[in-house]
Amino acid sequence: MSLLREALPDFSWWRSVDAQREAVAGFTGALLVVPQAITFAYLAGVAPEYGLYCAVFVGFLASFFGNSPMVGGPNTAVSILLGLTVLPFAGRGSPLYTEFVLVLSLMVGLIQIGIWLLRGAAVFRYFSPAAITGIKVGVGVWLITSALEGALGLSPLEAQFFYEKFYIVLFSWQDLVNPYAATISGVTIAAGLLLKRRWPRSYIIGAVLIGSLVGGLIYGLLGPVLSQLELLGHVTLQALPLNVPRLGPQHWLFLEQTVPHAIAIAVLGLAQSLVISRDLKASVVGNLDLHKEVFAQGISSALSPFFSTFAGSGSFNRTSVAVEMGAHTPLAGMIAAGAVVLIAWVLGPLLTWLPMPVIAGVMALVGIGMIQGNEIRPLQHRVEGAVFLITLLSVMFLGLEFGILVAVVASVGFFVVSVSRVKLSVSRDGDEERIIVTGNLFYASLDPLAKHLQSDPSARTVLDLRRVPYCDAAAQDMIKAIQAQRARHGGQLEIAPRA
Amino acid sequence: MRFKSMNRAFLAILGILVLLGCSPAALARPTIEELKARAVLDDYESNVVFGYNIVMQTNRYAGRYAGSALSCTSCHLKGGTQPDGFPLNVAGVYPKWRSKNGVRNGIGLRVRDCFLYSLNGVMPPEESAEVQAVAAYISYLSEGEVIGRPPKGWGVPTLPDTGADPNPPRGQAVYKRECVICHGADGEGSGPIPPVWGLNSYNAGAGLNNIQRLAGFIWANMPMGKERSLTHQEALDVAAFLNLQHRAFDPRDGRLKKLAERIYHRLSTITGKASP
Repeated sequence: MSLLREALPDFSWWRSVDAQREAVAGFTGALLVVPQAITFAYLAGVAPEYGLYCAVFVGFLASFFGNSPMVGGPNTAVSILLGLTVLPFAGRGSPLYTEFVLVLSLMVGLIQIGIWLLRGAAVFRYFSPAAITGIKVGVGVWLITSALEGALGLSPLEAQFFYEKFYIVLFSWQDLVNPYAATISGVTIAAGLLLKRRWPRSYIIGAVLIGSLVGGLIYGLLGPVLSQLELLGHVTLQALPLNVPRLGPQHWLFLEQTVPHAIAIAVLGLAQSLVISRDLKASVVGNLDLHKEVFAQGISSALSPFFSTFAGSGSFNRTSVAVEMGAHTPLAGMIAAGAVVLIAWVLGPLLTWLPMPVIAGVMALVGIGMIQGNEIRPLQHRVEGAVFLITLLSVMFLGLEFGILVAVVASVGFFVVSVSRVKLSVSRDGDEERIIVTGNLFYASLDPLAKHLQSDPSARTVLDLRRVPYCDAAAQDMIKAIQAQRARHGGQLEIAPRA
Repeated sequence: MRFKSMNRAFLAILGILVLLGCSPAALARPTIEELKARAVLDDYESNVVFGYNIVMQTNRYAGRYAGSALSCTSCHLKGGTQPDGFPLNVAGVYPKWRSKNGVRNGIGLRVRDCFLYSLNGVMPPEESAEVQAVAAYISYLSEGEVIGRPPKGWGVPTLPDTGADPNPPRGQAVYKRECVICHGADGEGSGPIPPVWGLNSYNAGAGLNNIQRLAGFIWANMPMGKERSLTHQEALDVAAFLNLQHRAFDPRDGRLKKLAERIYHRLSTITGKASP
């Protein structure tokens, strides 16, 4: 019954909605999402239309079924992972590739719904924020190096690791650089960084405008042949791009081989959405149901191929813009989806002439934002810092997917380490030793205590276990063994009453 | 006896194998329809089918980079299988140097040029799926051709010298007599019939915007059903007429630069007229 309540859209926020504020917030989010949607579609390796459809339909469904002002839609890491997963199976951008991206999105959505049925939201509580930060910074670095490819005409196949790209650029830039493309990307990035001081949230729009203006000028003066500029091309949007994902034998074979990847994408998408929801729950909306958010994420991803688009996730930067503009309810996300339709319809013909170096610039700006946006707060704590560094290094050197795995393991490890930490405070009273134990005593946390007690078998010790909430059989056995050992050596081990 | 019959069977099998070996063309590629009917295509085959779709319906399958109402098959007749109608079985002649862009052209750049000039669209990147697919389709059509040797019926025939200059007014008369039924009074075309001038047709940088080449194409392939019925002179006249019509400008010039040049010319003619 409670499952049904979570699965059905809930409009209880409707009574307390400030429609005007939500509309302003939604519209601003929509302005932001258009350049991002095109960029992320490029990252996923599909036509720009799919990114815009993602902003419209996945964004709308996530808000419609959700209960938070979180703005969903195309997501950097999810798009990159979709692209990387499908790349070995079909030629990037071909119809088969696109079909594979869609069925993979369907599978990701179904896995997320499965996680919802298993009450998975609770698990994501253990996903360390430091690990998420590590993934984000890693993706940021990845984006900046990918932007180099677009801006300098670097072939993506030439380098396997990000540092190789810098090497190639450093030693053979004369052969790679199209000076016009590099200029346009440079102007876009510079404009973005300058505008960021004035408008820390919506600077990307200005950067795209300035970059396109410079690009248009170069293109207009030199023409396509001399400038060798790559353009976005026609974006042909349909009002309702309904589609039934094809499931032939080829698609089943593909799905069979990409289950682990789909799980990684599903987990990453949910992790990002739930971290946002957790922040929102702390700051904006008190009665946020995390399970409902998981379902909303799952259903929007599962339904995405039926609207000719790919899976998305909650967006950190667009949500924070919407919340700053005063969004409190899912209405903001729904209005944002509608506004994207309007903006894309008005801008549609102009988008044709959008130079791809501007997209590369946006990629670099998003990447820089992902690195800058995170306070390096986790580094202050030693263990959290280690989780962050481990995740970041694995994302950068071992790939995004493996990085996510490492993030999960590191988070769990961090959790285990913090749980199994036992504090011993030793005080001496004459020749009697008194030890106050704080923390859980179980098989993994016994070591320090056992070592301490075994060091001097003839000592007389009183063990105070009143601050031990949990003591497992292994711990009891250990204490009994030491009691026996001390009895043999003339020592003593008493346990203070658990009064 | 037994040995003899086995020997005969062996000989028969050998004979069949030899026959099969001698006729590689008969064993060659499956048709596009056969490919489309298959449940599973490998990457090359699915790419070929995609390329065929692009060639037949460019606006639908490569709409991102197409810029006019033309499809590839508007000039590369019958999906690029018509000799003397710009056939596409040309994989064996590339890479080759072309005066058009002054560099050695691989098949990819050649296809991209078609998008930019003949389709009056946006030049797709070399690694785009559309370019790769058309290149795969060209390879598929080129199966059995000799590498390095131009295929039979390559391009269009070069018309012999008629001894007279192309005459656009007479070409207009021929157009009204022979072409207007399909291509329309304003050269606008309809449905699968391509527009022959205007902003929806090929631009001024396209290969067909050359009178000799266009005349060869028209003579060998037009009017459809009555091919080679025009005289060489008539074909030249129609070509001259068509190439005088309005069409999108040559993308080798920048638009802004062109605009500035036009304004400058206009101003200088005005001042030139005013001064004396």
